[in-house]
Amino acid sequence: MDPKSPVEGQVTRRHFLRNGARLMAMTGLGVAAGTLATRSTSAAWVWQLDPAKCLHCGNCATHCVLEQSAVKCVHAYAVCGYCQLCTGFFAPEPNELTTAAENQQCPTAAIQRTYVEDPYYQYSIDEKLCIGCAKCVEGCNRFGNGSLFLQIRHDRCLNCNECAISRSCPGDAFRRVPADHPYLLKTAS
Amino acid sequence: MKPELELFDRREFFRVVTKSAAILGLAGSARAGAAGQGTTNPFAYDISRFLKTDPKLISHEEVARWPVPRKEARRVAIGPDGQLYVCAGNYITRVSRDGRSGLQLALAGPASCVAVAWDGTIFAGLRDHIEVFDSTGARKARWDSPDPKTWFTGLAVAEKDVFAADAVKLAVLRYDRTGKITGRIGQKDANRNAPGLVVPSPFLDVVLHKDGLLRVNNMGRHQVEAYTIDGDMEAAWGKPTAAIEGFCGCCNPIALAFLPDGRIVTCEKGIPRVKIYSASGEFESVVAGAESFPENALTCNDLNDCVHGGIDAAVDSDGRIYILDLVAGDVRVMKRKV
Repeated sequence: MDPKSPVEGQVTRRHFLRNGARLMAMTGLGVAAGTLATRSTSAAWVWQLDPAKCLHCGNCATHCVLEQSAVKCVHAYAVCGYCQLCTGFFAPEPNELTTAAENQQCPTAAIQRTYVEDPYYQYSIDEKLCIGCAKCVEGCNRFGNGSLFLQIRHDRCLNCNECAISRSCPGDAFRRVPADHPYLLKTAS
Repeated sequence: MKPELELFDRREFFRVVTKSAAILGLAGSARAGAAGQGTTNPFAYDISRFLKTDPKLISHEEVARWPVPRKEARRVAIGPDGQLYVCAGNYITRVSRDGRSGLQLALAGPASCVAVAWDGTIFAGLRDHIEVFDSTGARKARWDSPDPKTWFTGLAVAEKDVFAADAVKLAVLRYDRTGKITGRIGQKDANRNAPGLVVPSPFLDVVLHKDGLLRVNNMGRHQVEAYTIDGDMEAAWGKPTAAIEGFCGCCNPIALAFLPDGRIVTCEKGIPRVKIYSASGEFESVVAGAESFPENALTCNDLNDCVHGGIDAAVDSDGRIYILDLVAGDVRVMKRKV
């Protein structure tokens, strides 16, 4: 028997190197595929808040990782009643129905009230001022049509892997939605 | 000797320090966790103070309560015989003051309002038309719909006229007793001093006051308006606020009645409550506050459910107030406290 010939079942240097190269290649492919899959998932799905589940708890204003929350109040104009006494805009006991600061319930005066015709007024949100506290949403839902509601604005949202607000949401209102339909909007029935 | 001055040896000292740090750390994280749960909402829309009524303001007490004979109650009226007429489901049921059902009028659709004339003639409002019955329940006439969108929600009857509140067409239609429309009241008209009715939800009501003027709830403007039967607005009162002296929400009051001395009874939804005002509109007292209608108070928490809540009231010749709770499906008989 030639002492240099390989013994059956014994791993030679050549076998070892070949198998090692194969293993490294497979591992590399797996990592590349995993990375691509993860990237494509995070791009295809984004966080959104379901207004039908929202409890207007105030956590959206305080639990977002951003200094000013990515959650903002939005307005479904087709649902709005254009009320003179908008319970989203006015404090429960307004002195009078004017835009004076003491009559408003928004802590940042982010709702603009514009006269349309007697006795109707249009309400619009100044998103730069809105902190997503849902105080107006609660007032509008409690006494009105619920045309004011919260949404995550995707020009601000960082789309965190685990949304900090969703972890604290008592209504379990946060979920991933397809990025090509990133909003859950209310429409007139 | 040095060892006698030491409280702990080194091993004991480190053990105590480690335990203390662990306890402090656990307590700190528990506290932080509790804060993170947000047990108090700094942005809360707080109306809790309006859900409990100052006892000093409550003028009436409940002396009886009975369930309405059918589901989906809508309106209650009182006839000249002192009996109640309850709209519920597709029926109008005549009910004695102690809650015993009598005559039942079957209708083609949901009964939305009712009024009874001095001669016992019953005017039944369905969504889009009116049917007329005599006091025995025999159908005498059907007044066809004046408009495809008509939604009658209130009726009042005078000696020669019937007034029907149309919540969609924003007017009170004046009929003669043959069913012919002779006027429209409440539409915006500067010549008649009428600002126009605003009716965000289907609860427009009309009553004929003993002073000869109609009272209409202009709910979107949060006021009660007085009209002549020809349609001239003579007066209006009401303040938009959730406070007890005013009318809250998008649209209140939702129903009206009046006491034998002419004072007005108002009903509200959202913060459900029944109150009494003088004929000229000064707040006087509370018949039943929001705490009396716990189920009704919850109906406005969900989107669009406000249209299913609400209260109506009727008053008998003795001044007893019959409150119909649309959510609980019962009638409460309220008597002035002694």
